[in-house]
Amino acid sequence: MRRIVRRMGTLESRFYLIFTLVFFATILTMQIISTRFTITSVRSAILENSRQLTDELVEQIDSYIAGMVRISQAIMENPDVEDYLAYKNVGAEERLASRFAAYIEARDDISSVILFRPDGDAVSADGTDPSEYTNVKKASWYRNALSSEGRTMVSTAYVQNLIPGHYSWVVSLSTAVPIPGQREPGVLLVDLKFNRIKELCESLVVGEKGYDFILDAGGNYVFHPSQQLMFSEIKQEPVADVMRVYFSESPVHRTQNQSYVVARSKRTGWYVVSVLFDADLVTGWPYVHLMNALTGLVLFLIVGLVTNFISKGITRPLRRLQEVMQSVETGEFLLAGDLDATDEIRELAREYDLMVGRIGELMEANTREIELKRKSDLKALQAQINPHFLYNTLDSIIWMGEMQKSDEVVKMTSALSRLFRISISKGNEIIPLRSELEHVRSYLTIQEMRYKNKFRYLIDIPEDLQDVPVLKITLQPLVENAIYHGIRSVDYTGLIEIAGKREGNDVLLTVTDNGQGMDRAVLEKLLQITAPSESGNKAGTGVRNVHERIRLYFGEGYGLSLEEKKAHQPETKMTRITIRIPSGTEA
Amino acid sequence: MRYLVFFIGSMAAALALFLVLTFALNPGANDDLELDSPIVVVMKATVEGQPMNFWTVVQLGISEAAKEFGVDVEIIGPDHERQIHRQVNMVNRVIENRPPALILAASDYNLLAEPVEKAVSTGIPVITVDSGVNSNQTISFIATDNVAAGMKAGGEVLRLLSTNPEGRVAIVSHVRETATAIERERGVRQAVRPWEVAGTWYCENDEDIAYEKTLEILQDPTVQGIVALNELVTLGAARAIEDTQSQNRIAMVGFDNAPEELAYLERGILDATVVQRPYNMGYMAVKTAVRALKGKEVESWIDTGSVLITANNMFERDYQELLFPIEDY
Repeated sequence: MRRIVRRMGTLESRFYLIFTLVFFATILTMQIISTRFTITSVRSAILENSRQLTDELVEQIDSYIAGMVRISQAIMENPDVEDYLAYKNVGAEERLASRFAAYIEARDDISSVILFRPDGDAVSADGTDPSEYTNVKKASWYRNALSSEGRTMVSTAYVQNLIPGHYSWVVSLSTAVPIPGQREPGVLLVDLKFNRIKELCESLVVGEKGYDFILDAGGNYVFHPSQQLMFSEIKQEPVADVMRVYFSESPVHRTQNQSYVVARSKRTGWYVVSVLFDADLVTGWPYVHLMNALTGLVLFLIVGLVTNFISKGITRPLRRLQEVMQSVETGEFLLAGDLDATDEIRELAREYDLMVGRIGELMEANTREIELKRKSDLKALQAQINPHFLYNTLDSIIWMGEMQKSDEVVKMTSALSRLFRISISKGNEIIPLRSELEHVRSYLTIQEMRYKNKFRYLIDIPEDLQDVPVLKITLQPLVENAIYHGIRSVDYTGLIEIAGKREGNDVLLTVTDNGQGMDRAVLEKLLQITAPSESGNKAGTGVRNVHERIRLYFGEGYGLSLEEKKAHQPETKMTRITIRIPSGTEA
Repeated sequence: MRYLVFFIGSMAAALALFLVLTFALNPGANDDLELDSPIVVVMKATVEGQPMNFWTVVQLGISEAAKEFGVDVEIIGPDHERQIHRQVNMVNRVIENRPPALILAASDYNLLAEPVEKAVSTGIPVITVDSGVNSNQTISFIATDNVAAGMKAGGEVLRLLSTNPEGRVAIVSHVRETATAIERERGVRQAVRPWEVAGTWYCENDEDIAYEKTLEILQDPTVQGIVALNELVTLGAARAIEDTQSQNRIAMVGFDNAPEELAYLERGILDATVVQRPYNMGYMAVKTAVRALKGKEVESWIDTGSVLITANNMFERDYQELLFPIEDY
């Protein structure tokens, strides 16, 4: 959990989460709306279809009733009717009876045709008299006919009990037939078998559960497939609502999961109501939902991929920038360069590059300053040599002057003069080996005079090395060292040999003496190159200076090395200091 | 890799949520029961080959409910109400097929109790309709309150005899051991004072036997009222009254609404008949079975009611459909 929370801290995750949630909500809303829309449009299409069906049903009922009304009218135009009603003509009665029988024969949906005289006499198809238990004149169809002035009245559906022991569901068409010369008319009754209307109702239903029912103008049931449930109030239909919506804009009444489509028969005044169940509207809802779910999934995958792409596009350059910035930690100042990213991040990278460039410049300046400081230190080191030697030499010159050795004073002084000329050498640090050798010779000349017969020297440098550039005053301190620490205190004539040779790209210059050798401590000092030069011990100071300077100028691979060897005579040692310098073209 | 996991995870969550929401939005929510096999109804008598109009209407109610609640129903039964053992065998066979529910109109109050308890013990819910069994294992009993119906019949006879306080009432019962007969008789006897009852005659549910017994009853001049407890015995008794032209002497109340009974009613031979609501019985039986199978609570006893019909109210609109089931005409 905490890991997830922490992961949410990354920009990518947040992008992802927000995009996902937003798109999820959007897709979900879209799908809900589209599903609702589908439901509504499918429902209204089916309702429209159902309205047409219901209208058709009403039309069929109307045309059926109209056909029956025409039959009534046809019967009434028969002259036998008047003969029978006015005069109770027996012949007319017989003819009418057979004619009625013919109608019933031809139309199996006519239950009975009976013509009533006001006195209660009647003529019917099979000659049966109306039930003695039934008072015809009290029947509503009879009374309606009398009050309708010749129009044919259509009753509601009811059980006709005119014939004893015979009960049938009928719709009665009753018409008053005026009798000339009499105030009270006769009544013609045509009973239609209700089954016909019931079959019509049952044939035009929608779905497995759908059904039709019929209400008369007063809201009483004419027909309902489960009428008994209505009368015992186990089931109820929204009769009032159904009658109300007929007069509204859309004759459809909706309850929770069914729709009542209402149409009205003009001929009968009946409301024909077709009931539809939502469950029957579309049977393939699971399929619709599956399709919606699949569409949602596909959209989701696309959104997920796009989100991934977008968030990666934003975070990848940031990551690259971060990697570049991390290089600062290691001291490697990498530049971000031209990132493939948005303007903001490119700007950020540019600023970073500027900053790094500035830091680089600062560091370079810093390095240069340190270099300068070192150089000035170096100068100082070089200067250190001079007073030391000058004092000794001047001492010797004084001494020789006192001894009246003017030739020698001249020689030494001129050697000293040469020594300084080279030492100054127009401020150049690097001079040809030839000049350095001259410098050494001058020095040796001075020392040779100071230490009479104490040593001999030999310079053996090949001609091709004469022009090798060297750091000035490098050989002289070594020679000085050989004299002071090697030869000065031995009781034999020492030998100092200066030689040179090439080794690969390097040049090796050696200063060899056969004096007493350096004691161990001095030697150690010489090797401890990096140690700060404590001037407490003068011994080896010059040598170390040389070593440091060479390394400063030419690098770590160059400098001095030292070897000692036992020589053939027991008291003597051979000490050789080798200078390694580059052969010079690049110096 | 971790983004892949993240990705797939959110996909799955999204899809799950989506499906849930989509299905929650289901418009034509069809909560019909899905049954592997039909609910079985074992009738007292099947309609074919039998003039028992009552059961035709029960079946109409059953079919209507089956259509409304979207279930299949299989209706079986012996040819005649007297075939009690045949009905016992039928119930036993039905139990072997393990229907989701059994609706039973028991021919015998005691003999059918054992098969019913067997069915209940194998996990088949049993609903009794019209005639119950001697068991408390059924989940619901849907019937006319026969005691109340009997009281209506007894009360009407008493009313008709009010001008003649000396008269006694004879009860013509169909079968000795059927719950309907027992309860209706009890109802009649509750409405009529004990000394006014001439006795009870059992007719093995046979019209002709009822005719004979009624002729016998009519020999007794103190009997001024007859209550016949079901359709067949009513028809037999009415025929006896008509044949002896004793309709003016005898106040007769019957049960049920066969067309001949209604003709007798119209002719004044039968003074009143207590009519049950068989359509509602069939409908409520299936409705209750469906409710029970959906795990909803059902009432252990549902009274579908009865109506006293006389010549005066028989053509009232509210009773027409009850008395003259439309299908038959």
